[in-house]
Amino acid sequence: MQTKQAITAFLHSKGFQLLLVTFAVLAVLPIFITDSFFLYILTLIFVFAIYAASWNFLANSGQGSLGHALFLGIGGFSSAIVGGRITTALIGAMGVTRMPIGALSVLIQVLVLLVGGLVSAGIGLLIGLACVRLKTWYLAMVTFGFSVIASTLSSQFDSFTNGINGFAPATFVPGGYPFYILVIAFAAASVAAMYLIMKSRMGLAFRAIHGNEAEAKMIGINTAKYKLIAFVISTFFAGIAGGLYAFFTRFIDNSIFSPANSFLPLIMSVIGGLGTVAGPVIGAIFFISIQQIFALPSVVNYLQTSLGSVFPGVNNVGPPISYLIIGVILLLIVIFTPKGLIALFRRFYSYITAKPQPKEIKTK
Amino acid sequence: MDITAPTIILTLVWGVAIGCIYILLATGLNIIFGVMKLVNFAHGQLLMIGAFLTWSISVSLGLNAYAAIVVSMVVVAALGVAVERLTFRRVLGTDKLNEIFVSLGLIYIFENAAMLLWGTGSKQITSPFYGSSLSLPGISITYDRIVAVFVVIAALVAFGLLLKKTKIGLAMQATSQVSSAAMLMGINVEKIYMFTFALGAALAALAGGLYGVIFSFDFQVGAMPTIIAFAIIILGGLGSIKGAIVGGLLYGIAEQLATLFLGGIWGSAVAFALLIVVLIIKPTGLFGQKGE
Amino acid sequence: MQRKLLAIIVVVIIVVAAVAAIELTPKTPSTPSADARNIVIGLVAPLSTSIGQDMSDAAQLAAKEINDAGGIYVKDWNTNVNVSIVNVNTIDDAPSNAKTPVVQAVESEHVDMLIGGYGSAGTLANEVVAIDDKVPYIITGASNQLVTRRGPQGNYGGFGVNGANSITDSEGVSYIFHYCTTTYHYSKTVVDFFATVMKPMVAPDRNFSLAILYRNDAFGQGVDQATKYWIQNESLPITLTERNYDPTTAKTSGYQTDLTAVAASHPDAVFIVDNPDQTPLIIKQGWNEVGLKSVYIAVENNQDPTFYNLLGSTGDGQLLESKMDPFMTPSYSQVVQTYVENFNKTYPHVMPGMMGADTYDAFYIAKDAITRAGTVNKTEVRDAIENTNMNQMLIQTKTGKIQFSTGINYHEIDPVTFIEQLKWDSTNSHLTSQIVWSPSGSTNLKQANFTLPTGYQPAQ
Repeated sequence: MQTKQAITAFLHSKGFQLLLVTFAVLAVLPIFITDSFFLYILTLIFVFAIYAASWNFLANSGQGSLGHALFLGIGGFSSAIVGGRITTALIGAMGVTRMPIGALSVLIQVLVLLVGGLVSAGIGLLIGLACVRLKTWYLAMVTFGFSVIASTLSSQFDSFTNGINGFAPATFVPGGYPFYILVIAFAAASVAAMYLIMKSRMGLAFRAIHGNEAEAKMIGINTAKYKLIAFVISTFFAGIAGGLYAFFTRFIDNSIFSPANSFLPLIMSVIGGLGTVAGPVIGAIFFISIQQIFALPSVVNYLQTSLGSVFPGVNNVGPPISYLIIGVILLLIVIFTPKGLIALFRRFYSYITAKPQPKEIKTK
Repeated sequence: MDITAPTIILTLVWGVAIGCIYILLATGLNIIFGVMKLVNFAHGQLLMIGAFLTWSISVSLGLNAYAAIVVSMVVVAALGVAVERLTFRRVLGTDKLNEIFVSLGLIYIFENAAMLLWGTGSKQITSPFYGSSLSLPGISITYDRIVAVFVVIAALVAFGLLLKKTKIGLAMQATSQVSSAAMLMGINVEKIYMFTFALGAALAALAGGLYGVIFSFDFQVGAMPTIIAFAIIILGGLGSIKGAIVGGLLYGIAEQLATLFLGGIWGSAVAFALLIVVLIIKPTGLFGQKGE
Repeated sequence: MQRKLLAIIVVVIIVVAAVAAIELTPKTPSTPSADARNIVIGLVAPLSTSIGQDMSDAAQLAAKEINDAGGIYVKDWNTNVNVSIVNVNTIDDAPSNAKTPVVQAVESEHVDMLIGGYGSAGTLANEVVAIDDKVPYIITGASNQLVTRRGPQGNYGGFGVNGANSITDSEGVSYIFHYCTTTYHYSKTVVDFFATVMKPMVAPDRNFSLAILYRNDAFGQGVDQATKYWIQNESLPITLTERNYDPTTAKTSGYQTDLTAVAASHPDAVFIVDNPDQTPLIIKQGWNEVGLKSVYIAVENNQDPTFYNLLGSTGDGQLLESKMDPFMTPSYSQVVQTYVENFNKTYPHVMPGMMGADTYDAFYIAKDAITRAGTVNKTEVRDAIENTNMNQMLIQTKTGKIQFSTGINYHEIDPVTFIEQLKWDSTNSHLTSQIVWSPSGSTNLKQANFTLPTGYQPAQ
């Protein structure tokens, strides 16, 4: 009953309407901007937005992970491998050379992605059970350790995973606009689902644990159970993101387990604003955009020609100077908006909506 | 392949030798965490800069590599002070994860500045003992590895004395307990933070110099050592110096033994599996106190 | 009525004749086409590595030379146009970093062609973009043979149509060209050298014991598989001991334990498969620290200044498989010597490496193909590259011509590879090299006899 109420409340909430409008605008955006690279980056952003949101969800329950790439990878590998097996079986049965694209293939794509999420959540459950007593950095390091072990196992069983050479998963939904719509749909559904859970009673428990675990325990919350649930939900969505990533980039290999991929969702969540729904999405948009802007040939060439002579030892100074500037921008952001970009937006929003106040009070 | 006793002994030696360098890096990271309660994920980049500076000083001035390390320690300590004042101090007390974010920005800056200054190629520091080694029955060990182990022991002893016997060391310990109480006792907490960071950075530079003599390095060398050093202090227990030493040796030996018996791809996997097992049994690490 | 008909016929004939006359008059339009623009080539290189920097330097040099000599004549545009380079920075060539910049180059910068690609793993990931979008891609680095053989024309690299890396789009794969040696080329040279030259010296009456120590990635695995393949296929009297390591772990914690294990297998020679930033350290740790005083051989991607600088005096007597050596003075080849001189004029601070040489040649292949195609239409350019028949340049080929295997085949060249022995020049404090063996059937480049390194300890 209560869940139903929560859903109804959610459907009528301002946040939901905003979300709906945002994703609707995003879905039609590529019709007006036809650059296919822009579409590629936009798709990439929303795959990572799901990933970052899954990490942020875990953080909301008072748990931190430095090995989330493990779940990205497990989701990616399992959906890609299952997808490959299904394709082989189907084209064998149908007597064709390649998978026909249509309603069936889209359905298979969705199912295969869910399989990736479920396998990831299954592994998440096992790891969560082992980690339930661990806190803060200890938990973070153990999850990191599991991502290292996963990478080794994937190398060891290469005949099964093909992780060393990597491989391209089968195509079920063609790249470009169709895949973008798939990603947008998954992103909207995932973000909405996580928002809903956070608004539910369960979410209340998560936040209580996040606030103070000892107190949460005292008021009768089964903290171990709720922490485990949060872990499983988070790893499910990370797995979905991994599957989307593999099918979107049409490549997966062991480097998906890399530490860089584990740090990414953390960076995006912090940049956007920890503990908020829109934070990870904003973070993903900002971080990937800034990386891409500074990788634009025109920007790199400009830096190269204007600063090339300063560093005679390196002939190609464009890329390193680009990255250096990204580093400085990141530092400035965290120093000046330690609560994330969303706090900046909120301040801006309240500034423009605030009623003009009498001057006397203002000066006081 | 026949694994004989000398092979195993030699592998243990490698484990200890590698562990020692990580202990040095971990100790710096640990003291910064202990006093300031922040994790500097750009700590390995200080190791990288220490290695490059040692290389530059020994090449351009023709200085003995080990003397060059001392100079680079001073420079990196000064760099540490600048980093602490300009970045970390500004986010202390804000959101808990902002320090990781600062570290990421610093990693971008340090790595790419190093690439601009020293190029993309790998370097190795030439030591005065290059090519010579101590021959023992069945095995021989290069002098550079032996020097590294002794330098680490000396550095740790000096560090221990500094903490226990000097005024600033005691002040650091007091700050690490409760910084507000330390402030009430008249300790200049900001000065302590600055000193701590400089000390941690100097230890990283020392580790970098020793590392650069034994291994080759490039501008990207810092990333993995940071994570390993962090794993070591988690294994030993956050804030515990004894823990970092035991953790470092365990990590190094586990990694090298796994490499010998299971093959190179298992090295870090087994070392991290050890960490996981220890933490599942004892969630605050080997020597960690309860409640962080 | 008849008159009228006659008049119409006459008029028609006149009109047709006039039109035909206009059409048949040789056109000498003096103005270039309004479509004329620079030819844009995407240089795919990991710019955070020294090899990527070398590829970029060489590419800039080639483009500058081509433009200084008047650019490329494009018949469609009836004018000469310049070549401009778009850097496609794959950072460190990790597959996760290697693909997006290629998408950008193809989709957003609309490059006419791609040249480069160093790491096998990264290239297997990013060539898919060229295959999908049908952009000619001359690969000058990635030596894993799947790069060109993953389509039907390469029999899916032997893995079948359902192989993990198989691509069914044979037309798409036909846009991929391999202008470099593959793992199969150079592994054959390495094992043949040991079987014919070194075995009689150290193991005349038993199998030669070779240890291979390789990085566990697409590159290392490719070399390991090819080495096994040739030993078996040619029934060579070589016993192979294999050992691999995780590149990240070993780069951080060293190779000493892997080398200790290799030493325990008592090899006659050790085959090291890694990049120039790591291979020297492996050899040094093996020789100086582990005391494995053996013959070490590295593969051609180590033909790079980083390798020579880092290896130093420990390299004395050690081996390097190669197909182009810019470090020899006087050089074995006049073309190579000229290249090195020109390179040093443009970049006084740096020495060229071999990966750059492949890239440099590839720009001339591109120029030749576009000139012959007379257009930048990608299909026609691809056909023109397929029919390349130029004289060899920096990379020597068995026929003396640059030719890609055509027809239903995948596109590879047939380069001459050879074995070099390094010598430490103590007066000038640097390593030099001499060619000690080149396979029979190709130009004999041999300069000296192979001798065992000083201090070599035979396997017990």
